[in-house]
Amino acid sequence: MTWSRIQSRVLYPASLLAAGAAVVWKYLRAEPAHPRMVYLTGWCLLGLVLVLTVFNARKKLAFLPLLSARTWLRTHSWLGMFAGLLFVMHLRWRMPAGPFDSVLAALFVAVTLSGIAGWWLSRAVPRRLTGAGGEVPYERIPAVLRGLRERAESLVVAGIPAAGATTLADFYAARLSGFFARPANLGPHLFGSTSALNALLADLGNVERYLNDSEKKAAQQLAALVREKDALDLHRAMQLVLKGWLFVHIPLTYGLLVFTAAHVVIVYSYSGGAR
Amino acid sequence: MSPPAPSLNRPRRWDVPFSSDMSAADVERLLGLAPFRDMDPGGFPRSAQLADILRNDARLRQFKPGEIIVREGDYGTSAFMVLAGTAEVVLGPGLPPAMVGRREPARRGLFRALARVWANPSEDEVARRSGQSGAAAVGRVEGDSAPGVILQDIPRVLSRLRTATIAPGDVFGEIAALSRMPRTATILANADGAELLEIRWQGLRDLMRYDPQLRTFIDGIYRERALSTYLDELPFMRFLGPDARKRLMDATQFETYGDYDWSGDYKQLVRSGATAAQEPTIAVEGDYPNSVVMVRAGFARVTQRYGSGHRTLNYLGSGRMYGFDEIAHNWRQPENRVDLQHTLRVIGYTHVLVIPAAVIEQVVLPAMPGAMLPPLIVSDRRSRAPFAAEPDGEPTGSRVSAEVMEFITQNRFFNGTQTMVIDLDHCTRCDDCVRACAQTHDNNPRFLRHGPILNNLMVAQACMHCADPICMIGCPTGAIHRDTFEGDVVINPSSCIGCSACANNCPYGAIRMVEIRDEAGRILVASDGIPIQKATKCDLCIEQFGGPACERACPHDALKRVNLNTLDDLVGWLKR
Repeated sequence: MTWSRIQSRVLYPASLLAAGAAVVWKYLRAEPAHPRMVYLTGWCLLGLVLVLTVFNARKKLAFLPLLSARTWLRTHSWLGMFAGLLFVMHLRWRMPAGPFDSVLAALFVAVTLSGIAGWWLSRAVPRRLTGAGGEVPYERIPAVLRGLRERAESLVVAGIPAAGATTLADFYAARLSGFFARPANLGPHLFGSTSALNALLADLGNVERYLNDSEKKAAQQLAALVREKDALDLHRAMQLVLKGWLFVHIPLTYGLLVFTAAHVVIVYSYSGGAR
Repeated sequence: MSPPAPSLNRPRRWDVPFSSDMSAADVERLLGLAPFRDMDPGGFPRSAQLADILRNDARLRQFKPGEIIVREGDYGTSAFMVLAGTAEVVLGPGLPPAMVGRREPARRGLFRALARVWANPSEDEVARRSGQSGAAAVGRVEGDSAPGVILQDIPRVLSRLRTATIAPGDVFGEIAALSRMPRTATILANADGAELLEIRWQGLRDLMRYDPQLRTFIDGIYRERALSTYLDELPFMRFLGPDARKRLMDATQFETYGDYDWSGDYKQLVRSGATAAQEPTIAVEGDYPNSVVMVRAGFARVTQRYGSGHRTLNYLGSGRMYGFDEIAHNWRQPENRVDLQHTLRVIGYTHVLVIPAAVIEQVVLPAMPGAMLPPLIVSDRRSRAPFAAEPDGEPTGSRVSAEVMEFITQNRFFNGTQTMVIDLDHCTRCDDCVRACAQTHDNNPRFLRHGPILNNLMVAQACMHCADPICMIGCPTGAIHRDTFEGDVVINPSSCIGCSACANNCPYGAIRMVEIRDEAGRILVASDGIPIQKATKCDLCIEQFGGPACERACPHDALKRVNLNTLDDLVGWLKR
């Protein structure tokens, strides 16, 4: 086992577990004697959330020697989990009361869950993309799509004079033009289903009985283009998910910070001299 | 769209001469000295006249007593000729790096780095007005106007060292200049000081091209000096006494396969994906092992017959040996001799040292301790299939799968010392690496997250900082050069004339020609109406602390800069 694996699979989880156990033990012992302990956990939680938020700033300052993003992400993930524990302690193991606190707690849970979802996506999705082949940067997808459509249309049109029939062209117009015109099958790709692709290929197979030899050859080439387009759609769908989850996680985080600031003001306004 | 900027003169080769101090009288004086007085000026084309080369590609330099002229380990792109005085070359062991003033180049401080937040231009590829930007500011060519390092008490220092004197008329520094390799020794001016003529390699190349006599002369001394220097790197040399070393040196041959200016062939090979069978051979599997071959420059491919094809087991770069195991085996077990186990093939251009088996058997092997001898050869490897699940632990080092080995060799990626590899199973395609690169380079990314793929391994289109940077071959001005300290390949935008020679030479598509703009965003146009271009590429964030921003910006450990000259880096990373 390499040092990197030891760090990620043994050292970090063990540290988190030990720190978590120590904090809970200390908290349970101290809490009955210190009713204001909730202020301490609150401020710790706020500090932790701010530290977690700094990861995004680190990404924007890539030219500064502020440790590697890999170290930041690992720290972010493990501290995030620790923040979850602290959050439960801050709530004193109870559900929040009142609409404001409920929204604040819901925001915290949403940020945590979206973070966990992102962590899972960043591990599961890349392998699917690699397996699909046809690697393409997200920004290049429209250009590649256009190229595929032009190739498909040229293939179909070029076959008409030789075949003396428009069978394949008719099929293309009826069944494939929409598929090649724009990104397709977002839902099936998100859920790992190939049913849409199979249906298209089955239809293309069914139409072969009406084609002559040269048209059949063109139909096979068309099937290859359909598979390429499907892989492109998969890339688009999955890259969209990989980019999109941050558009959930980060706005929720900012929302959480705003609500937390209001929470601090409210708490101290009505704390009755807790300062 | 912004209106075009006022037109400018198109940059030309000698817009930035090597030295602005070279006068007509200096050139006249040089033309009266050997070897220039014996050259035929009529043999030079109008575009590169002898006098013009001397005026623009050479400079006169005065060195004070004890001043360092070149330092061992530095990358240099020029050769020297002693005009007056003498110089001392320090033979091994060399001077300590600190004593010769060898230190890391200056990096951007924290505040200068932070200033990028507001100082980065909003337009793409803006030409900086004041001086150089990016790598050029750090990647200075050796011997520029920086103050020199002077050793004190020369007689005492020299009395402790093994040195050789370089007299007027002698040439040195040609190994680094011609082979794009680091300086092999430190050379300093003697007690009386020295006057030297320094010629940058573009000028030396032209002089050699148009004067066959000089070419023969330089080739001769290059081979002679390289041979003695390189032999010292052989692992068994430390076991040999002076007589044995001399015998070895006398018997060693220096052979070259392919042409030094080989970039065209190389690029064609990469593009055509030429197979092993098409490459010329240095030694053939099954033949009697009659010599040890040591690769000095370039690369050679080690293959073994399998079925009707050839399986690539490894590639050998500078300092790697072939044939020693078989000769050692036969010397230990003469009754159970083996043939050469593999074929050694030339990839593009390969410099090799050839040491006859007889000398190895009579001089080297008897001097080596038994524990240092290579293991005996067990000839059951031929039955191993390249598609076996586990790498077969070949002595040649194939610790990656056969297909990865073929992928690296077929695409000639082994030339890269800082190759950008991406593990697509970990890459979330977030492009944080590209953004980090752009932020570090005035908002202009210097690589494409795109390139050849094998399974989950992508080699991105980023400068690999090749062991043998063939992009440098055609540069007429020396704008693309090696950083003196670490040897990173960098471009000086102020002397780049936009000729595209480097971009055309690079087989990996890692250099991009870009149209540059002024600070108002207007494209700079030359007086002929055509936009001015500059070559751009990855400079390894040479100005930044902490190394390449792309690597540091990857949160998923999916991107790594690895040295593919050997497989150690890649194997370590793949097994992380």
